[in-house]
Amino acid sequence: MNVVNFNSQQCERMRRQLDAYLSNELLVETTGEVLRHLETCEACSRELEARTRVRDALRRAVANQVPSDELRRAIQRRVRETRPSFLGGSPRLAWAVALAGLVVVVLGAVAIQQWISVQRGRRVVDGVLALGVADHVQCAIKGHNYPEVANPPEVLRKKLGPQYAGLLEVVQRNLPGFEVLEAHICSIPGSPRKYVHFITRGHATILSVILTRSEGAQLPRAALLRSEASGGVDLYEAHLEGMNAVGFESKGYFGFVVSDLDKSTTLQIAGVLALPLKNALEIGEAAQVLLPVLANSVPHV
Amino acid sequence: MFFRPKVRVEDFEAAAMPHFPDLYRTARSLSQHSSEGEDLVQEVYLEAWKSFHRFEMGTNCRAWLFKILFHRLHHFRRRWAKAAKVEAFEKPEDANGIAAETPVPQEIRDEDILEALGKLPIDFREVVLLADVQEFSYREIAETLKLPLGTVMSRLSRGRKLLRQELAHVAGAYGIRPDNEQARTGDSA
Repeated sequence: MNVVNFNSQQCERMRRQLDAYLSNELLVETTGEVLRHLETCEACSRELEARTRVRDALRRAVANQVPSDELRRAIQRRVRETRPSFLGGSPRLAWAVALAGLVVVVLGAVAIQQWISVQRGRRVVDGVLALGVADHVQCAIKGHNYPEVANPPEVLRKKLGPQYAGLLEVVQRNLPGFEVLEAHICSIPGSPRKYVHFITRGHATILSVILTRSEGAQLPRAALLRSEASGGVDLYEAHLEGMNAVGFESKGYFGFVVSDLDKSTTLQIAGVLALPLKNALEIGEAAQVLLPVLANSVPHV
Repeated sequence: MFFRPKVRVEDFEAAAMPHFPDLYRTARSLSQHSSEGEDLVQEVYLEAWKSFHRFEMGTNCRAWLFKILFHRLHHFRRRWAKAAKVEAFEKPEDANGIAAETPVPQEIRDEDILEALGKLPIDFREVVLLADVQEFSYREIAETLKLPLGTVMSRLSRGRKLLRQELAHVAGAYGIRPDNEQARTGDSA
């Protein structure tokens, strides 16, 4: 392309404004400046006229491209045949929204199922732990079936009988700060259920450690409360009748720690006691099975 | 919004169909064949109808339709032959002087200038059409094409120059003389 070096710097500057002038995009002041220059500069004036001519010719030529009525009717027909989409007609967006909706529904269903499962679990836990709470309230709190001065261990062992006597030491050893006042087998009037009941005193209150046969029932895992301090034994808790109760399962037994101490203290105590009690119960159960076998195997002399 | 508001086809036609000729002309000028332009404008109207619930009545329907047109155009372009590279034309001008302006024929025939327009790289053609034919402002063009304002201005300037060059070639091939040559001939007579 040939390059013309204009002497007039003003022409060069004005020509750079001509595109914006032609598009009516100049500020009023600049437009006035361009107009004043055009009045006195024939070359720039011719250049503007040439540019205007091209633009007008283009505008006219494009305007002469008339769309057919047939195309207009075809568009109107297709529009009327097409349902407007609330997703803006984008198939990708529609799929994305549908997929997101499905995910929300699935997650919602899972969450609801889990919530229902937890609620059911809680009701079962409350039902089981209510056994321990009822015995604590009836026997220890309302019945006051314990002495002010602790019964001697041999008395307690006798009350517990040979099957559970060994548990006394387990409870005493794993309940630091608590004194075992009473231990016995008890039941609530009107119910055949038996409870192995240790009534202890400590932290200025009465705390019961209770065992009862589970008779095939199980605590639901959905309401499980994990405790790192329990040595791997699953713990469950409930607040019933103003008492905090923590329960655990052993082979064939439910164990409970019940008191009016706060939840975390009760959990801490149960966490320490659960594993040794569980082990002792399981050993005791094995012994119950084995002893008669061993006894029968001793030859009569 | 999950529930589709009530939209009437009559409202859509009243708002959108008056712009049909302008959309058609722009689509036609940006496509290689007449049938492609017709397909494009049909797609624009269908897409506009499907999303008409999002359009606020009383706002600029023409600008909205042109935005859809250029959005669809990108999809169509993949099917069409690759447009000429723009970068080669976007070099800055010579700083030591201004380029000598290409002479313009006194009489410009429709077919010549449309042929010249068709030879422009499509990125320049878009801006020239929107500014010089559809008379959109620089800002509206920037919004429609999603370009910075400076790019719109530089593409318009280069697009106009290229159009003029192409026009000179086309007109020259048909024996139409540029104006300065005519002027020179007139001077010598």
